[in-house]
Amino acid sequence: MSNEQSPLLEMTNISKSFGKIQALRNVTFALNRKEVVGLVGDNGAGKSTLVKILSGVHSPDQGEIYLEGKKVKFSSPADARAAGIETVYQDIGLVNRMSIYRNFFLGREETRTIGFLPLLDLRSMQEKSKKALDSLGIRIRSVTEDISFLSGGERQSISVARSTFFGGKILILDEPTMALSVRESKRILELVAHARDRGVSIIFITHNVYQVHEVADRLVVLERGQKIADLLKKDSTPGQIIEIIATGKVERLK
Amino acid sequence: MRNKALPLSALRKLPEFGALVGFLTFFVIFSAFGKSFFTLSNLSAILTLSAELGILSVAVTLLMVSGEFDLSVSSVYAICALLFIDLGSAGIPSLFVFVLVLAVAAFIGLANGVLTTVVGVPSFIATLGMMMAVRGIIYIFTGGAAFAYKGDLVIPALLSLRFGETLRLSETDPLAYLRPSHVWFLLFIIVFTVLLFRTRYGNHVIATGGHPETARAMGVKTGRVKTINFMICGVMAGMSGIIIAGRFLMVSPTMGQGLELEAIAAVVIGGTSLRGGHGTIAGTLFGVLLVSMVRGGLLMIGAPPYWYSGIVGLILLFATVINLKMR
Repeated sequence: MSNEQSPLLEMTNISKSFGKIQALRNVTFALNRKEVVGLVGDNGAGKSTLVKILSGVHSPDQGEIYLEGKKVKFSSPADARAAGIETVYQDIGLVNRMSIYRNFFLGREETRTIGFLPLLDLRSMQEKSKKALDSLGIRIRSVTEDISFLSGGERQSISVARSTFFGGKILILDEPTMALSVRESKRILELVAHARDRGVSIIFITHNVYQVHEVADRLVVLERGQKIADLLKKDSTPGQIIEIIATGKVERLK
Repeated sequence: MRNKALPLSALRKLPEFGALVGFLTFFVIFSAFGKSFFTLSNLSAILTLSAELGILSVAVTLLMVSGEFDLSVSSVYAICALLFIDLGSAGIPSLFVFVLVLAVAAFIGLANGVLTTVVGVPSFIATLGMMMAVRGIIYIFTGGAAFAYKGDLVIPALLSLRFGETLRLSETDPLAYLRPSHVWFLLFIIVFTVLLFRTRYGNHVIATGGHPETARAMGVKTGRVKTINFMICGVMAGMSGIIIAGRFLMVSPTMGQGLELEAIAAVVIGGTSLRGGHGTIAGTLFGVLLVSMVRGGLLMIGAPPYWYSGIVGLILLFATVINLKMR
């Protein structure tokens, strides 16, 4: 980490416990500008905890976070979003019985003052969300439709579209293709590549090493709360990464 | 009946559908069997009952959409009526008493909110405890006796008394049968509809009840939303209590018992989800009108008053089944 330029994001010596379980132990993690990092590891390795600390859901017991060289502290997801860190979760992120455009703008609703009342600007939010989805080639019947009428792939597309719409610098994807069909997964990976091409840095968490190997520049492996490997894609094959995850050891590469 | 081409299929998708059908059904029944159902004084009486239950129920709707219950509204309603009568009778200007009493109501709501969102007591238990505790205070305070109001009539005239009395209108004037509470109810329906569907706060309320983790991840302060809703519930329960105190100009310690469930029934009949995340104020309006019409209408057709709770129970079950199965 001796770049002339500080990395976009640095998390140093992060530790976090939940009761007696130590989820993370002295993890140091960096993300450079326009980089896609695959964060992999077995169940319970601490991947989700690490990104939840970054997205403001949890606060670390120890360790520091630096964004563009400046120390930051997120006490809520809103703080992280305001700093340009957007997260797409596997299972949460959209409210089912709410329309697409209301979900799109949830937490960042647009208002228009009528008289003295700041009322929701429904038309503007509908138009903007429609435009954002259209521009990414996401086809939906109407943005006023409830999320519950959409397929898993459509929902995840909307999550990804939303996270890039608000101009985030860092996009965290937490198992975004977990419950999707092959075709739907491919569509999500295209959206990820699209975001990367527009200059967004991405942290991609997944179980599917082959999938992340395709889009990532670098791969970080966690094992029982510790970082055990940090490899550039060109220095590794998916098979080697899987071996590291399976055995919890890095010997083969040394 | 399952013909998709009928506008009925679009209509019955509305959350208010069950309540609307029930309302029309009972309206027809009472019109057919009750000879005096269509009189001005009777319709006004039903409106009065609707307003007193409804002002509280619109707030309960908001709270239930955010995913919580408030069983303490009945006791808050009673203690606010009691405090209003007691302090007003002591010679304090009723306008001042009104503000003071609503502040007490807001404080009880705040306590419910803190117990639920900060301490983590399920709202069902927290507000059940609050309901019993406040009712206990009422009994201790009154010794079980009823009290009459001896204060000024500013607030009763602004909230409860018939326009016929306050404006000295002739009994042939239809306006004479209306009460300010009817107007307040209408106003609150509009205000709460706008609040729920046309403001940022309303969007946060729906998201909080619809999927709390998602709402939090998107930056919604769900605990704060719920606490504010508990406070709104308290204030509106207090408002209803003062309205009824202003109408009877007296208060009894058993006042409002069972009202908390009646409000929840009206809200659920109106299509609001028990699990939160979904509901409309218009649905609650129909639910409240239905429940109040049954109460007034049963008296009109000469049925024993005990029938009321049984029939409301059946309507509740029926409306819930309609809402579950017809959509």
